[in-house]
Amino acid sequence: MRRVPAVAWTVLIWLMLVTMPYWMNGLGGYTELASRVLVLGLAAMSLNFLLGFTGVLSFGHAAYFGLGAYGAAMTIKYIYPSTPLGILVGVATGTLAAMVIGALIVKLRGVYFAMVTIAFGQVFYFIAFRWNSVTGGDDGVSGWKRQALDLGFTQINILGNDKAFYYFVLVCFAVAVTLMWLLLRSPFGRTLLAIRENERRARFLGIPVERHIWLSFVISCCFASLAGTMYALLNNFTDPRALRWDQSGTFVIMAVLGGMRSFWGPLIGAGIFVVLQDYVSSHTENWMSVIGLFFVLVVLFFPRGVLGMLRRKGLT
Amino acid sequence: MSLLVVENASRHFGSLVAVDSVSLVVPPGELRAIIGPNGAGKTTFFNLISGFFPPTSGRILFAGRDVTQTSPEQRVAMGMARTFQITEVFPELSVRENLRIAVEVATGLRLSPWLTRAANAQIRQRIEVLLRMGGLEDKASRLAGELPHGDQRAAEIMMALALKPQLLLLDEPTAGMGDQETYDITQLIRRLHKEQKLTIVLIEHDMRVVFHLADRITVLAEGAVLGEGTPEEIAKDERVQAAYLGKAA
Amino acid sequence: MTQLLLFNIFNGLIVGAFYALMALGLSLILNLSGVINFAHGGFLALGAYIAYTLIPYVGFWGGLAIAPFATAAVGVVVERVLIRRVYGRDPLYSLLLTFGLAYIFEDVLRAIWGAQSVPYPIPPELATPLSTEFFFLTGYRLFMVGLATAVVIGLFLILNRTRLGMRIRAGTADLETVSVLGVNVRILRTLNFGLGIYLAGLAGVLAAGMLGLQPTIGTSLIMPSFVAIIVGGLGSLPGTLLGGLLIGLASGITTVFFPSATEAVIYVMMGLVLLIRPRGLLGEEGRIQ
Repeated sequence: MRRVPAVAWTVLIWLMLVTMPYWMNGLGGYTELASRVLVLGLAAMSLNFLLGFTGVLSFGHAAYFGLGAYGAAMTIKYIYPSTPLGILVGVATGTLAAMVIGALIVKLRGVYFAMVTIAFGQVFYFIAFRWNSVTGGDDGVSGWKRQALDLGFTQINILGNDKAFYYFVLVCFAVAVTLMWLLLRSPFGRTLLAIRENERRARFLGIPVERHIWLSFVISCCFASLAGTMYALLNNFTDPRALRWDQSGTFVIMAVLGGMRSFWGPLIGAGIFVVLQDYVSSHTENWMSVIGLFFVLVVLFFPRGVLGMLRRKGLT
Repeated sequence: MSLLVVENASRHFGSLVAVDSVSLVVPPGELRAIIGPNGAGKTTFFNLISGFFPPTSGRILFAGRDVTQTSPEQRVAMGMARTFQITEVFPELSVRENLRIAVEVATGLRLSPWLTRAANAQIRQRIEVLLRMGGLEDKASRLAGELPHGDQRAAEIMMALALKPQLLLLDEPTAGMGDQETYDITQLIRRLHKEQKLTIVLIEHDMRVVFHLADRITVLAEGAVLGEGTPEEIAKDERVQAAYLGKAA
Repeated sequence: MTQLLLFNIFNGLIVGAFYALMALGLSLILNLSGVINFAHGGFLALGAYIAYTLIPYVGFWGGLAIAPFATAAVGVVVERVLIRRVYGRDPLYSLLLTFGLAYIFEDVLRAIWGAQSVPYPIPPELATPLSTEFFFLTGYRLFMVGLATAVVIGLFLILNRTRLGMRIRAGTADLETVSVLGVNVRILRTLNFGLGIYLAGLAGVLAAGMLGLQPTIGTSLIMPSFVAIIVGGLGSLPGTLLGGLLIGLASGITTVFFPSATEAVIYVMMGLVLLIRPRGLLGEEGRIQ
């Protein structure tokens, strides 16, 4: 098999993303599903910045995703009905939380790190659940909608027009993903690879490991919270489930399914997972068992993921 | 002024005394070998010097500064570089990428989110120099973890060199190598010592290597210094012979 | 006021005993095999539901006696068929695997027994308070504390006085050496896992009597177990026990003064421990890797 140059894959992926609403509908899906793929794909790619590229086992990313969602929802509902403001507040909230929590956990490794990230994830779930008066408790934050974008010379109706919203999300996605890509290819990004490959060697080359892990954590959660704001805007709603442990689990499985060691892997994993979940939940009540079974099968038989498998066959 | 001064450093693990009040003075430009039977505490001693863990008592001074409690990363920044008994490289990155990371960190670029063209060119050049020095030019694109033992060691030494250290600590650089590889590595170390004028401290079991390279030798046994001197003096020292040399080839 | 405080301290210790019971099982499995069993909550719920199903036939005591063993049996099967395959791999995979199992547990339990709470019958002799002065000292609560204490003592006796226990402790410290010395590590892991799940099942049966039984009972108790392990100390079983009791106590006391912060306080404790002593109160050095 001839090796396909990386540029070709990148062009192909962007082409597919730009045209997704059209072929997604053609396949029996719908535009909102395409937006879901983008949003969750961004979340999974953000997680993978930490998991696949820095080698850190974060299992509580839903916390920052959810904080982004709640930040956006509550801003639009209670403070001022503006989409950009909602996004800004959501991202700021998630990033701030990551800075604090990251500082607390950066000395741990392996399974203990994972445990603590899960535990902290649940803290925010509890707060959202219990603090009824502010967060609406189990009912979530509803009764608001994403606002049209006011560009001064024109207004973009992202509320009424599904396709317009998709392209809005795509623009945000593109900015985020390009930033991530640039960071990973920079000297800083390479220090993260070093930490993943051999932490001891990285330290003895003079890399302050804990500080770089903290930075990677904050960057990763920042992008995850951006995805969270998009998620709230997509649904015109958010509830504690965006913060739950199973949401964190789905991000990880998306990254693993698509291929942890590749940049686009998590997006592909998200695509497969979102479509699968949509299909299964419309056919059976027990979709959670099916998803759980899916996790088990991926771990046992498909740990390198789709792109990992393609790489093995020399295609990428 | 001496480059490395260790004053009565000890390291206890519970009731086990791994390093027992060891003192050492290494002037700049010297190649010092540390020898001793297995379990003598040589690697633990290295760990103290390089900052892997702090001594239970005693002081370590590097280039005149007290580094006893300084972190490993900071000691690297001050000019100390080391290799490990079991080669530590970045296994799933290519040799070139391994060196690139070392060079970038050494150039102070570790937090840099981008590279100018000029900086990039400079880095590329430095990597080529290091590859040539280590005899790794035709293996530059291979994954470091897939290289034969000797080449991995050379790559690790080159990574340490990329840091432009004042002091190079080598932990058993010829361990597990055959005759040819041992010869190659020994020549490499010799070149680093003579041409680059590096101060080197190395732990070695292979006596041929030690006598070929060392200016001075320190002998450790059971965590304490048994003797110190030139290779000729050590070869004649009866206590050292009894404890160690008598058993070697 | 004092009576309220006393009640909540006592209550807190009981809750702490649950946390400890469950956390000990989790800790056993984590220490020996390096696996975070996220499905632990599922096993807890399973134990409770098995007991609930058996009670009409064998009564409360029969359910209490049989259910934990039945749950442990399920645990052993799961270990041999699934968990065994991820030993020695990156801990990511064991966590993902047990995550998937947790999903399956929650869904299957809901499918079989319904999403609603079901009443868990406790025998009338245990339900009555022992005195009107200290009305909170019902027989059931005393019984639970007593049983939990007995089980924990039993566990420490097993670990310190039997060959199996010695092997588990040795394996936790250095599995490779233990295997070289001729111990069958595979069986050891399976037995250890079974023991951990037994504790989960037992905790489930006891919890159902006090908290009521619904499919989410497991996932609501697993997080405090995580915190108990982190607070008490990584790699240390006495630490886990201490951690469980401490956080139970903390939440008990907090209920009196800040009722809405009852659950949050255990995470605050976790945050404090991470700040001041990351390896936990009784944690061993070098275990945070």
